[in-house]
Amino acid sequence: MPCLELKNVTKHFGRLAALEGIDLRVEQGEILGIVGPNGSGKTTLINVISGYFRPTKGEIFFNDKKISGLRPDRIAARGILRTFQSNVLYEGATVIESMLISSYQQYKSNHWHSFFNTRTWKDENEKVVGRVIELVKLLDLLNDTFLPAEGLSHGYQRMLGISMAMIANPSVLLLDEPTTGMNHKEAMFVVDKIKKINEQGVTVILIEHNMKVLLDVATRVVVLSFGTKIAEGKPEEVMNQQEVIEAYLGTETF
Amino acid sequence: MPPAGIWIDGLIQSCTYMTMAFGMVLVFSILGILNWTHGQFYMLGAFVVYYAITAAGIPFFISIGITGLIIAGLGILIKKIIIDQVQGDLYISVVTISLIFFFEGAASMIFGMQDKGLAMVLPGVINLGSFSVSYQKIAVVIFTLVVMIGMYIVLNYTKVGLAIRAAAQQPDAASLYGVSVERLSFIVMGIGCALAAMAGGIMAPLYTVNPFIGGIPMIMSLLAIVIGGIGSLTGAIVGGLILGFLNSVVAYHLSYFSEVVLFVLVIIILLVRPQGLFGASLK
Amino acid sequence: MMPFIDYKNVIPKTVIGLLVFLIVLIPVFTTNVATLSMLILSGIWAIAVMGFTLVLRTGQFSLGQAAFMAIGGYTSAIFTVKLGWPFWPSFFLAGVVSGIVALLVGMVVLRVGGIYFSIITLALSEIVRIIAQQWESVTRGTRGLITSMPDPISLGGFEINFFASTVPYFYLTLCLVALTALIFWRIGESRLGRSFAGIALNPVLAEHQGMYLMKYRVIAFTVAGVFTGLAGSLYAHSLTVITPYMLGLWQSIQIMIMSIVGGISSLAGGPIIGAILLYTFGTYLIRLEIYGIQQLLFGAVVVLVLLFLPKGTGLVDLWERFWRKVVWREEEYEPDTPDD
Repeated sequence: MPCLELKNVTKHFGRLAALEGIDLRVEQGEILGIVGPNGSGKTTLINVISGYFRPTKGEIFFNDKKISGLRPDRIAARGILRTFQSNVLYEGATVIESMLISSYQQYKSNHWHSFFNTRTWKDENEKVVGRVIELVKLLDLLNDTFLPAEGLSHGYQRMLGISMAMIANPSVLLLDEPTTGMNHKEAMFVVDKIKKINEQGVTVILIEHNMKVLLDVATRVVVLSFGTKIAEGKPEEVMNQQEVIEAYLGTETF
Repeated sequence: MPPAGIWIDGLIQSCTYMTMAFGMVLVFSILGILNWTHGQFYMLGAFVVYYAITAAGIPFFISIGITGLIIAGLGILIKKIIIDQVQGDLYISVVTISLIFFFEGAASMIFGMQDKGLAMVLPGVINLGSFSVSYQKIAVVIFTLVVMIGMYIVLNYTKVGLAIRAAAQQPDAASLYGVSVERLSFIVMGIGCALAAMAGGIMAPLYTVNPFIGGIPMIMSLLAIVIGGIGSLTGAIVGGLILGFLNSVVAYHLSYFSEVVLFVLVIIILLVRPQGLFGASLK
Repeated sequence: MMPFIDYKNVIPKTVIGLLVFLIVLIPVFTTNVATLSMLILSGIWAIAVMGFTLVLRTGQFSLGQAAFMAIGGYTSAIFTVKLGWPFWPSFFLAGVVSGIVALLVGMVVLRVGGIYFSIITLALSEIVRIIAQQWESVTRGTRGLITSMPDPISLGGFEINFFASTVPYFYLTLCLVALTALIFWRIGESRLGRSFAGIALNPVLAEHQGMYLMKYRVIAFTVAGVFTGLAGSLYAHSLTVITPYMLGLWQSIQIMIMSIVGGISSLAGGPIIGAILLYTFGTYLIRLEIYGIQQLLFGAVVVLVLLFLPKGTGLVDLWERFWRKVVWREEEYEPDTPDD
């Protein structure tokens, strides 16, 4: 069943149409790839879904409830989490601190419990810290837990970004170019982790330039060009469509 | 309708605020530094002129030039040894705000707290119908015009000026004009501080000179650039113009209340339209 | 050494505990009014500085904290002097009124950040001063209001007389400082503190992780407002006068200076150290009667702290470094260079 639905989503910045009439249905549990040349509106799409921008026209539904127009924190509370391409981290925080801050949504208890350091808080905190350690291990950051996050290499910073999105308990994860800037080994490592995350039941939407990655991991792919959807379908099919090849002419991402 | 004298005072105030706001915006939009110490450079500029005239007998207009140079140097020094060592907008603000105290204290200790009066360097008045304007005040207006025209020429027709404008869009672009980024930052800081100092100098004969005269010009420059738009040079000029008259004319009608009006206006602008009149683009 | 006690952790804390204990007992050793007054006022400023630091923790640089002291001080002064209320309800009301003002103003003004927010708080600070100056019927303008100490309290035969000696007021201030320090420290350690850190370090990211920015900014600003208002009330009654110029922009800047020098990494210890050290230093400088030296040195101290101490640290962090480097002779922890 579709968990995320975009109906005629349009986003204008003044006279610039970043997105125009996007209709999209994302099935629960799938891994959807979003591709397109630079400037085709991929990141804007994620920004609109995550609530950073309000769509100029159109609506977005999550589990049949309208989410377009909500604040990002309300959308995150509903389980839609995202990563960022730049400005990924909490400046000055260590890995473990970043993770603890990001674990905000895991806590169900009232702030007063944590203020008075009650048993409820201590128990819940232990559980959350346990999850943090699990995630940190899963994404191979265990050795660097107490280091400042900015000291990590680019690849590991991206991994941290994904872990931070994960600890917030997502049911839908929006990844903005997770493998960009990584070498092949690192990229495959990320792909492996994405698969594992998806196995845990998380729907994944990822923006990717790297077709190899998409062929490996995506169940479906959507192609954007100049803000409109020009193709949709299984990665192998879409790759060979005429319009898609034309859209990419001039770029070397294939 | 307030008497002509009030309008003239408004004009004089506008001139001061325009010059200062322009200097402040230049430094802010090119170097990203909101220099809270700007007002103190006004004060120090006035003192330099005062001593140049009374102690060294240097003619008025040359003193203005000298104060511009000296305070430009001071500003560059401060930037190099203090501001550049500090990272983050927060800490730069903290440091420049603390320097306000530092300079006020230093001036109090070195020059003493008492008001120092500088005799009118250009005595005499010109009679325009029912009212008269002192030559001193006319000098302020002429000086400001000269500065504005000078800045316009520099920014549009000299290599350095174009480098400055390029750097506002793209920090490294200055090097395309053969000016290193570091040298450019010194030039910009120097110009900004010099403007404040010369404003202080030109106003010195009209009001008193004491260590505390920097506070109000500082707040007024800040308000001027908010009204005009924090990143905009034209905005600073327009903002200064508006502010000078607002201060003078509204104060005539409403006395203390005009201050409140001013502050409330600024708050509203910052909340509703932070780009002010001319937005965040460099003009 | 007993092996099961983590002495590296315990000993520095015991030393601090001892110092606190000594401070609490100071009135036993001396009832010198000047010394006690100095500590009282340091304590009052410490509360205001804690408020500033709390707001700073959410990424907002407020230049208007002295205005809340003024609001609190004037509230309790007006209620005691003009309406004849006793001290304690007025004191309580000072906190309530400041808190409400902080809440209402905060909800509007905290939407913007950075420099814009600082300028707005500066403007608000001046507006409060002007209102205090001009609303003659209520505040008596620049002449100010003359307040007095709280009335004597009888506790079953034992009377606490604020007029007879400064000691009771010292303990009153001490209690408020301790309460504020405890509450603020707990806030920092709790989940609330983590959210504050998140919205300060990267508001966009924090928002996308479920933290509602305005909620936390307003909470911090309001809590700070309440305690700063209470401090203002203590200030007005301690000095027995309140005028518009006592708590204006320059005082807000002094609060900022005390915070930065004390160290913003700590919500209680840093502000307290900063306030006590700088206030006593300042009082000493004023006695020298060289006008300007206090401003000069206060400005210089901040610049020196920012130039020579690592970013984000202040005097409070020196304590920890002293123990680690000088006493325990520990090596500085060098993280491994990241492998690419």
